[in-house]
Amino acid sequence: MFVLLGVLVALAAPAAVHALDSDYSIIVSVANQTNNNGVAEKKPVAGVKIAITTPAGVAVGEGVTDATGAATIAVPAKDDYVVTLDVASLPSGVTLVEGTKTVVNIVKDAFTTNQKRVTFFAGSTGDSGASLAERIAQRLVDGVRLGLIIAICSVGLSLIFGTTGLTNFAHGEMVTFGGMMAFWFNVLLGVPLLIAGPLVIALGGVFGLAMNGLIFAKLRKRGIGLISQLVVSVGLSIMLRNMYLYQFGGRTRPLDDFSLQVAKSFGPVSITMRDLTTTIISLAVLLGVAAYLQRSRTGKAIRAVSDNPSLASSTGIDTQKIIRIVWFAGGALAAMGGLFRGLDEQVGFEMGSGLIFLMFAGITLGGLGSAYGALVGGFLVGLLVELASLVVPAELKNAPALLILIVVLVLRPQGILGRKQRVG
Amino acid sequence: MDIIKILENTVAAFFGIDAAYFALAAIGLNIQFGYTGLLNFGQSAFMACGAYGLGMTSQYFGVGMWWGILIALALVIILGLLVGIPTLRLRADYLAIVTIATAEIVRLVVRSVRFKQYFGGSDGINSFSTSFRNLSPFDPGAQYGIRPFQYSGYSLWTMIVGWTLVAFFSFLVYMLMKSPWGRVVKAIREDEDAVRSLGKNVYSYKMQSLIIGGVVGMFSGMIFALDRGSVQPDNYSRDVTFYVLTALVLGGVAKVRGSVIGPMMFWGLYVFSDNFLRELTKDRPFEIFGFGIIQKAQVGPVNYMLIGLGLMLLMTFRPQGVFGSKEEMALDGR
Repeated sequence: MFVLLGVLVALAAPAAVHALDSDYSIIVSVANQTNNNGVAEKKPVAGVKIAITTPAGVAVGEGVTDATGAATIAVPAKDDYVVTLDVASLPSGVTLVEGTKTVVNIVKDAFTTNQKRVTFFAGSTGDSGASLAERIAQRLVDGVRLGLIIAICSVGLSLIFGTTGLTNFAHGEMVTFGGMMAFWFNVLLGVPLLIAGPLVIALGGVFGLAMNGLIFAKLRKRGIGLISQLVVSVGLSIMLRNMYLYQFGGRTRPLDDFSLQVAKSFGPVSITMRDLTTTIISLAVLLGVAAYLQRSRTGKAIRAVSDNPSLASSTGIDTQKIIRIVWFAGGALAAMGGLFRGLDEQVGFEMGSGLIFLMFAGITLGGLGSAYGALVGGFLVGLLVELASLVVPAELKNAPALLILIVVLVLRPQGILGRKQRVG
Repeated sequence: MDIIKILENTVAAFFGIDAAYFALAAIGLNIQFGYTGLLNFGQSAFMACGAYGLGMTSQYFGVGMWWGILIALALVIILGLLVGIPTLRLRADYLAIVTIATAEIVRLVVRSVRFKQYFGGSDGINSFSTSFRNLSPFDPGAQYGIRPFQYSGYSLWTMIVGWTLVAFFSFLVYMLMKSPWGRVVKAIREDEDAVRSLGKNVYSYKMQSLIIGGVVGMFSGMIFALDRGSVQPDNYSRDVTFYVLTALVLGGVAKVRGSVIGPMMFWGLYVFSDNFLRELTKDRPFEIFGFGIIQKAQVGPVNYMLIGLGLMLLMTFRPQGVFGSKEEMALDGR
């Protein structure tokens, strides 16, 4: 059974009901939503204690919900109030959805109309009426979306590792860069996203080139070892992340275009046209990348350098040029991932650094340094994260992906598609 | 601009409690990274073990503070084994990825609503330091010392305990590294295969180093939790490990005095930069040619930008830090 509880705070002005000389009162209703064969049933919950205080904590009124699940509590004036639900007074068997707030703040402005309703359904309301199969289907769709984004973001990470040996902890910031640039063009300059998108991706490539040219190429030239380079990339990650915070602020903000869309239902699953489009584009790009690596001359050279740099170099491949191409492509793809992630969620200064663990998990699962491994591994990790949220609480859904990372390293350190080699 | 105040705060920061707990974490990291060559990016998880071990005793088990050390020790050993068994055979960059991932799992679990009854969720744990407070010989309300070294009785007590632990572990590490054990781990850092060929169990030595370093990190987490009087999950994020690493590199890896003086310099510089920028932007944004460069609210990010930049520059131009020697910087053996 799926228990869901919502607290409806409705406001009306039933002056006659109350002895208090006031036109204002707050109606709090508590409903227990249960799932019966896929049909949601709402039942009122009686006997729940509700307290109303001023924001400063001074008690204004108290009430207990009646048989209709509602409690009407008079308030003296049009003002700010805090409504608190006493969790202990809930009947046994009825629990608040995890993460549900038990406190609602009502601001003065909520009193503008008589029928103004302040409703809060916290928790996973979206799944309330869905059967297990439907929830799995929906999670699968979300997982495919996340998996494709992770795959796009981590191609560069894996190829850079393959060609230069660098484990780039600043790769997440390359993803954030894409989101930031998209925000800058779309929201601050008002450029439509369809025009800004390609620009963002190109700029991401340039950003990757700059990172290589200004920092990591120089480090390689100085003969600075790989672990030192890794620590430098950690410093770079801290610096860039705080530059974004400095410029953008700590809030997450949506892009202008395509931000308000209603999800369309396709059978058991629902997806917005925006997400469907980004998913199709992501898939096309990934197939394109795979075909490019497989067929084209440059793609073959990239794989050769990734396999064995010195051998590739001795066959006449310009490894430095290949490394530059990889950084450009990696940066461009990461920016594209950031753009899509910004559409999918919102733009924020930590959007990329939150993904870096999943990217590491993906490329380790696929095989570090293997080009196709990043595609497959990233995709699987995204799928796993979303499917895991069926079993574990949403706040812990990244944990199974990180566990996979550890398990893979124990059982098959070369990953799914990696070449067997000594890793220790 | 109040230059005297900035300088006073800076000088105080050199010997403050933050430097003490960073020094403990850095001593632990130095055993792992500096001497053994293990790139442990999950030191914050070991610190969290200490803090939560202590916090959980009085909050949930109702036993005295001293049990906290035992519980935390058990947590550290379990975590060390969990991290070490799969990864100590792997290359350094794999170890870095796995340790950072483990630290992230630990942070996600302790701050989750699901396990709130054990770890207190994002609110953390708050009432556990009473018995430590009662041990203090100082009057908690009174002020001791002279400016800029002026502390309340409780702060003075945590600082004394903190710096005593720093001194104790510094001495311990110094002696340990002179012992045969120290020579073996340093040899592992230089050439693992050579050590193996001499019949030493490299894996076991690495595990010991990881756990000993973790135990010192555990005390760091405890001192921090006792000083703040609370355990907050977000105080043990991955960035904490990186800042400790920066402090250690600044002082010089594979040197005992580097791991103590590095954190002192780190906090001195940080507090100087922070206070300076705050004074600079106190009344109006800092401007160059009419462009607002730093607003008041941007001081925090600017400080951390400088830390990141500092770490990059240090690793590039002076990887041995202030006290280290180039010969001991065998960071790339594996």
